[in-house]
Amino acid sequence: MTTPTLHINHLQKNFGKFQALKDITFDIYPGEVFGFIGPNGAGKSTTIRTLLGILKASGGQATIFGKDVFKDAVAIHSRLAYVPGDVYLWPNLSGGEIIDLFLKLAHNKHTEKTDQLIKAFQLDPTKKARTYSKGNRQKVALIAAFSTEADFYIFDEPTSGLDPLNEEIFQQEVLKLKAAGKAVLLSSHILSEVEKMCDRIGIIRQGKIVETGTLQEMRHLTRTVVKVQTVEPTPEIAALVGVHNVEVNQNGSMTLAVDSEHLDSLMEYLSKKQILSLQATPPTLEDLFLRYYDSEVQTNEQ
Amino acid sequence: MNNNQFQMTGFLTRFTLKKDRLKLLVWAVVLISLFVGVASKFTSLYGNQQAIDEIIKTLKTPAMVSLFGKMPKDVFTSADVFAAEMTVFMAIISCIMNYYFVIRNTRGEEESGILEMIQAHSVGRLANLSATIIESFILNFGIGLIYALGLQFANLSGTDLNGNFLLGFGLASCGFMFASIAAVVSQLSDNTRSATTLAYLVFGIMYIARMITDVTDSHYTWFVPLGWVEKLSTYQQNNWLPVILMLILSVILVLIAFYLNSHRDLGSGLIATKPGRASASPLLHDPLTLFWRLNRVSILVWFFGILILGMTYGSIFNTIGDIVKTNPMFKQLLSTSAIDNANLLIVKQFIGMLMIVFAVLALIPGISLINYLKKGEDKGYLEIIHATPTSRLKLYGSMIFISVITVTIILFAGNLGLYLGGNAVMKQNLPLEIFQRNLLGYWPATMIFLGISACLVGWLPKLISLNFGYLIISFFIQYFGKLLKLPDWTEKLTPFGYLAKVPVKDFNPTTFWFQLALALILIVIGYVGYRRRDLVIN
Repeated sequence: MTTPTLHINHLQKNFGKFQALKDITFDIYPGEVFGFIGPNGAGKSTTIRTLLGILKASGGQATIFGKDVFKDAVAIHSRLAYVPGDVYLWPNLSGGEIIDLFLKLAHNKHTEKTDQLIKAFQLDPTKKARTYSKGNRQKVALIAAFSTEADFYIFDEPTSGLDPLNEEIFQQEVLKLKAAGKAVLLSSHILSEVEKMCDRIGIIRQGKIVETGTLQEMRHLTRTVVKVQTVEPTPEIAALVGVHNVEVNQNGSMTLAVDSEHLDSLMEYLSKKQILSLQATPPTLEDLFLRYYDSEVQTNEQ
Repeated sequence: MNNNQFQMTGFLTRFTLKKDRLKLLVWAVVLISLFVGVASKFTSLYGNQQAIDEIIKTLKTPAMVSLFGKMPKDVFTSADVFAAEMTVFMAIISCIMNYYFVIRNTRGEEESGILEMIQAHSVGRLANLSATIIESFILNFGIGLIYALGLQFANLSGTDLNGNFLLGFGLASCGFMFASIAAVVSQLSDNTRSATTLAYLVFGIMYIARMITDVTDSHYTWFVPLGWVEKLSTYQQNNWLPVILMLILSVILVLIAFYLNSHRDLGSGLIATKPGRASASPLLHDPLTLFWRLNRVSILVWFFGILILGMTYGSIFNTIGDIVKTNPMFKQLLSTSAIDNANLLIVKQFIGMLMIVFAVLALIPGISLINYLKKGEDKGYLEIIHATPTSRLKLYGSMIFISVITVTIILFAGNLGLYLGGNAVMKQNLPLEIFQRNLLGYWPATMIFLGISACLVGWLPKLISLNFGYLIISFFIQYFGKLLKLPDWTEKLTPFGYLAKVPVKDFNPTTFWFQLALALILIVIGYVGYRRRDLVIN
């Protein structure tokens, strides 16, 4: 396997007594888009700021391009581009000026690509940042990031203010980066976006990574929703191992959820009961997410 | 009005007072303790006629008139001295206070988007502005009332009930007048920064105008609203007319502010933001050029403002430096060259007092610039910069550099102004040596202040505002120390207290190098902290 672009090992960050990051571990490889999801306040932005050397880790290691994120921040940043979740721009500078400034700070130049991006995102670069909406401020940061030559791109909820057309452009640009072999860290709340673009996903909750893997792998960890109608009655079904939430619908069909690893035994049982119709829906990322989110609610209630 | 523009004003007033309670309290306590504290000290300081006569001689010189205002003709009691000396000074402080609260609560709330959320409710269009104005009315007149009661209890000889309340409410109406100026200015400009700049421009013009009229012909001071507080003639004629004038002007200004506020869109101002460049100029490419680009207007305003202030002070040097005018006897007693020398000495002493003013004024933008390393972080402006290959050293170094340059050129501008203004009116040329001594004397002391700010930014970023407090205390000690006969050790609390009395005496190279070294050490210590700390502080 190639060496990872980003390597995080048991990263911790405390603010006074509060443990913002308890245990963060994951890697990102070149040519990979890594989705970083989790509820508000779980530690996504803190993780990213630690990776950028803005915050100093309290424990564990984090390296980018094999270098320490805090000590070698300047060297790392010459090959990195970043778009924060909340983009704040100097109110008295124009969008165009700020894009150029960010490019120059990254030792890049305003190129044809920059102009193309300004056009594609439909940004008026002559307007003062004071007059921009949230979406327009994000566009400024995105245009600067996409026209920067880098090997690692970090996006922290970059599309929360964009309209669907601009979101589409964002996704195309990210896929281009991926095709060019760049590594991308995408923190997002828009799960359809993550589902569509990310190769692997990490779920963070209360400062811990609770799950990493491909969406495919994660689906195995969760339940498939099955809607089934059989000729013979199925009285034992609710008692089967791994079967949950059995509901009988009005037309006589049943809806139930089954743990992915027990799908096999359920099918075996159902096949004996003469299946009339069967519909299996794989869990969406949203289901996955809600499951972790719910369990958080439960832990909080306890 | 069928659709009440003032709907919920009462609620918002209570909310604003509650929200600002700590800040209101701090300002009120500082102002009151300053005023009442000085008042209670005055009896012991200027209790007998001899002490009064002595201080009057100083206060009647044009130099002091230009700073503190015109003294009444006949001064008999320590209360007269107190009123003459404190009125203009307290008016200036109350101007700063009112500008701060009003601009913050009107344009500031609008700029941050908070007003948008408030306005989306069933709240009148003018409710927020009205609430702010009521708040400042309560603040000013609350403080004014306590002033009056304080004077009543301070038992200063020569006070009377009428005069105590006149002075208290006179200062209160002056403060309220500044609140109403700020209310209008907040409608004109569409952002806090230029609103503040504009407001201080109005103040600066009034201050300089009253200074010139006071020194030349104080009747004309009636034309300057800031000069009205001087016309109270407290404990002498006890004239309530200025209070009425200030209140009338305030009402007119408030009505103008209401009119402007109800005839404009939320978030906009009469002075609209112009579009900018489509791409950055080659001069904007790194932190240093960015900080310059962000602050160039305010640095230039400070530079020319102080230059003009210097020229104005310089232009009264001929009046100040004319002992023959004060006492015609000298003409018979002394030779022309002796008179010239004596005149020059007076001018030098006056310049010495002005230097502390220039130094403090230069440090206001200087310290604010360094504090941006924290404030810019809080507001999120610097986050993307940190993700670029820009080292912390470069960010820190650039800011320290631009701050040092700013303070230096503003100090220089003040001296240049004095030189130009002075030479334009004086018969004898001011020796350049004076200004050399000024700059070499005061420059390293100002650098210590920058060093302290640098240290705070590096190690205690939450406490960066403390240095402004230290600056104000230092100014107070240097400016009023002599008048209030503060103990000598207080002077050693500030870097300015260690200077040789430039430009009367030559500057002291040992102090120069010692202070400069201290400033450098502080800056380096600050960097050590800045390099290793979290940049975003929760």
